[in-house]
Amino acid sequence: MPIDKSLLTGSTTMLILKLVEETDMYGYQMIEELNRKSNNVFELKAGTLYPLLHTLEQKDMLTSYEKVTDNARIRKYYSITKKGRKYLQEKATEWQTYTAAVNSVLGGVNFATA
Amino acid sequence: MQQPNKIAAYLETVRQQIRWKKAQPPVLEELENHLTDQKNAYISDGLDEETAINNAVAEMGDPVIVGEQLDRTHRPRPDWPLLIMTAILLILGLSIQFLIRSDIHNGTESFTKQVTWAAPAIIVLLMAYLLDFTIIGKYPKTIYLALMVITMASYWSYRYVIGSTAIYPLLLFPTAFAGFVYSKRNKGYGGLTISVVAVIVPVLLALLIHNMTVLLLVGLSCLIILTVAIAKGWFNVSKLMALLILYLSTGIASLILFLTLMSQAYFRDRLQVILNPLQGHTGWVGTVIRSFLYHSRLVGEGLPVSGYGSVFPLLSTANTNFLLTYMTYKFGWILFIGIMLLFAAFFVRSVIISQKQKSVLGQLVSLAVILTVAMEIFTYIIANLGFLLVGPISLPLISYGGRALVTNMCLIGFLLSTFRTGNLFKDNVPVGKSNRLIKYENGKIIIDLKLNG
Repeated sequence: MPIDKSLLTGSTTMLILKLVEETDMYGYQMIEELNRKSNNVFELKAGTLYPLLHTLEQKDMLTSYEKVTDNARIRKYYSITKKGRKYLQEKATEWQTYTAAVNSVLGGVNFATA
Repeated sequence: MQQPNKIAAYLETVRQQIRWKKAQPPVLEELENHLTDQKNAYISDGLDEETAINNAVAEMGDPVIVGEQLDRTHRPRPDWPLLIMTAILLILGLSIQFLIRSDIHNGTESFTKQVTWAAPAIIVLLMAYLLDFTIIGKYPKTIYLALMVITMASYWSYRYVIGSTAIYPLLLFPTAFAGFVYSKRNKGYGGLTISVVAVIVPVLLALLIHNMTVLLLVGLSCLIILTVAIAKGWFNVSKLMALLILYLSTGIASLILFLTLMSQAYFRDRLQVILNPLQGHTGWVGTVIRSFLYHSRLVGEGLPVSGYGSVFPLLSTANTNFLLTYMTYKFGWILFIGIMLLFAAFFVRSVIISQKQKSVLGQLVSLAVILTVAMEIFTYIIANLGFLLVGPISLPLISYGGRALVTNMCLIGFLLSTFRTGNLFKDNVPVGKSNRLIKYENGKIIIDLKLNG
């Protein structure tokens, strides 16, 4: 299902933070997970993801570390920080308020609480 | 062999967009890993390698746009709060020298001298900042040797003067030592032993110039650096055993040192301060300082001190050694508190950022600088409060002394550099475990497929 891109900008940060909130991940894993969890709706480009990850790291919302994998390759894992968690919470609340408002204007079922 | 080149070409285009050279390798490595993962996923989905690579590269997006975005994210950024605090301290120092110039014999001359020294000091800070702390890890032996030679040379050329200039190169030893320890990674007990032996060099030099403060500063800093390195498993030996060896040998060395020093008159004089605080010249200096501080007010010039009036008897060295005492008496405790707060802010900021350092070299170098500067400040304050077991060296960037200024600015330059590039520098991966498919050396891209691996 194609979705208007403008709806996604700004919320990508939130989605990334949400992903790493549960477990530390490396970039490729994030794209896969996002794809899977959104039933293939979100197809995040790697070229968008990495600059964003690096920006989030500079803003202290994420930290990174390297880990050698089983097949002896070095992977860069990202882990959420306290600041990142706080930001995520704020953004999620904002988002829920927004979607609830949109839904109530549309007058249909409130998907946010479904 | 054609297809991996496509990945290499993609990465090269991205690389060209990122202007900051130091940021390139880690970023490209991450992208390369991603492309490999993506390619492998496509292959296991049933695509042939060529299509898999084409898809993986296409999936990542336009390399120029990706590179430009990464360029925007990765700019060398100094830590502005620390840089600004350094500037404030420097300007404050010069202002204080200016303010008290008429009180002190040759004060105007001293002030002009200090301003003249500020220029090379700023250049040295910039050099250390741009040369980068990684140089300390790259040439630890050369730097160590150079410092030894400089210390000896300053000792010989000023050996008849009290207050040797050899103090200043000695202050750089802990930082050089951080690089030395760094170079002994995974070297086992042999590496630990050599590191301990390396501490003896500056300790002996400090003994040579009869400076207890430097001895304590260098010895303690190196001990802490070694402790941290051991705790990080740097030598790849049993941590408990290594710490035991370190502290046992430090204990024995301190005992030998103490017994040797007890035969020296200057050391016994210093010790008198504990046993009998009022005796001798040192006791007199302490008494003067305490009584002037006792008569200082919160704001404004202090009350007259019986026997001295308002003339501070230690004026001749007030701008160098007892600046804090004098300033407190002349302008009130408010100035003392202000300077302390400024240093505290500098210290806190440094510690916070140094804890974020990812490379061990960055951690050790920033630790060494912070320790050196903090101990200079601490011993200076203690002495300026009238407790003279250790004499003051300098109040970094504030007290008079061109060489001290240059030395401290050099240290701060390296500290700032760890914050600028620290997150990009990676400790060397142990030999034989280099897993990178593509390496960048001398501007060439070297592709190593490790097909036999």
